[in-house]
Amino acid sequence: MSVATLSVTALLPLQSVGITPLEASLFVFVLITAVLTALFRDVLASIVVFAAYSLGLAVLYTFYRAPDVGLTEAAIGAGVTTVFLLLTIAKTTRPATDARFEAINWPAVGICGLFVLVVGVTLPAFPAVGDPASPILANADVTGYYLANAYDETGAENAVTAVLAAYRGFDTFGEAIVVFAAGIASLLVLGREVFTA
Amino acid sequence: MTDFLGVVTTRHAYALFVLLSAIGLYMMIANENLVKKIIGLNMFQTGVFLFFVTSAYRIGGAAPVVVEGGSPYVSPLPQVIVLTAIVVGISLTAVGLALIIRLYSEYGTLRADALREVVGDE
Amino acid sequence: MSSDRLDSTNDDTGVARQRPIYSESQVIMTTVKAVIPFVLTYGLFITFHGTSSPGGGFQGGALIASVVLMIAFAFGIESTRKWLSNTLVVVLATLGVAIFAGIALVPMLLGANFLEYTAYYPLLGDALGLKRYEFVKYGMEAVEIGGIAFIVAGVLMGLFFALAAGMTPTSETNTVGDDVGTNASDNTSDADDATDGGDRP
Repeated sequence: MSVATLSVTALLPLQSVGITPLEASLFVFVLITAVLTALFRDVLASIVVFAAYSLGLAVLYTFYRAPDVGLTEAAIGAGVTTVFLLLTIAKTTRPATDARFEAINWPAVGICGLFVLVVGVTLPAFPAVGDPASPILANADVTGYYLANAYDETGAENAVTAVLAAYRGFDTFGEAIVVFAAGIASLLVLGREVFTA
Repeated sequence: MTDFLGVVTTRHAYALFVLLSAIGLYMMIANENLVKKIIGLNMFQTGVFLFFVTSAYRIGGAAPVVVEGGSPYVSPLPQVIVLTAIVVGISLTAVGLALIIRLYSEYGTLRADALREVVGDE
Repeated sequence: MSSDRLDSTNDDTGVARQRPIYSESQVIMTTVKAVIPFVLTYGLFITFHGTSSPGGGFQGGALIASVVLMIAFAFGIESTRKWLSNTLVVVLATLGVAIFAGIALVPMLLGANFLEYTAYYPLLGDALGLKRYEFVKYGMEAVEIGGIAFIVAGVLMGLFFALAAGMTPTSETNTVGDDVGTNASDNTSDADDATDGGDRP
């Protein structure tokens, strides 16, 4: 049976595939906060734990060498989403709660268990996490091309920004329009004509 | 199934993605409070983002800020799609919350089962 | 827990509504006053250095919007709403879309493809003194800063005020949602606010 190699000092880069103690502790934190978000009956407690979950995920993204994604998740996921959720319960209601935890809905757990089974069956088909031979990383036509030519063709060292604003600028344009449309849609839904006042 | 532990420890982040998506799905279908359904939707989305970011990761790789003679880099492309998706997700959440505020001012309740009865009577 | 509950009153339709109370918290005000110049500078830094370090328009725009959110928590959403006129929010968002669309669509008018930055070279190369390949870098910067950051900042601010105002724009007599500010200070802007719920009456 292939044994997971544990790195002695968790902060050094791993030399072969496996799980490090740092990763494992981050996973445990994220899982615990996710389960608590689902189980707390009070919606305010749910929102607070969800903010902690977003922060844990942001750290996990940074650990997976995606600092742009980590920054965005921390600023938007943990920051702005929490603010919007709190505003909503301030404008509507925070229902009174008698118990600490929700009653578990077992049919729903069954459905989610089915989901886990169906998607989990495909797990062996994935490459190992971080494997340099995985199809995404070994592809010289896409990943290799962008990494090799981003600075020469666009003058940007950050390959993510180069792809966002130059190579795949059309998607970014669509996304900007979607954000703008969301602003307008929220005004429409709330029956207002101006954002402020 | 014989190598189950080996599979889970080498594809650990994908297993986490499955679990997070399942918990988000549970919140969306089981919780009756509408705000919690939105939180569940967000959790499902973050699970999918984790999947993309993990697929880009390379052991011994560096963040995709390309400098001269650097070590091998992680792939930048899945990170681009996740960046866009996070911002689109917050737009979705904001419009959903505006809808919840509107629903509350119309019907006075945030519970989905109560809403089903009230709207069904109309 | 009932002492923490927001006051609920019944309006004329018989539905219990929440009336938030604004409690002025010295801790939040002082912290926010000390921290927001740095957050704003950091947001601008992240936006401007998007091409050479992790960052870019999305992150910078969210940080800049969060400055306004923090001001709203500390000093009251109503006063912030009066200070930040609607024009600024709308202009930020639409100017961002206009700049992005302009930079992206003008090359199509010039005969090149969508968002082809080098198509500007025959037009502006001599006027700006840039070489052909440098247009890509500056075009990207312009799109990131003047397009994406403006849009994200403007729309997030606008969404905040729209959600805070809610469904009845004219009947709110007291400041809305500011009791939330004392709760939310633990969660927003992660490490910036060091308070623990503020002062509750």
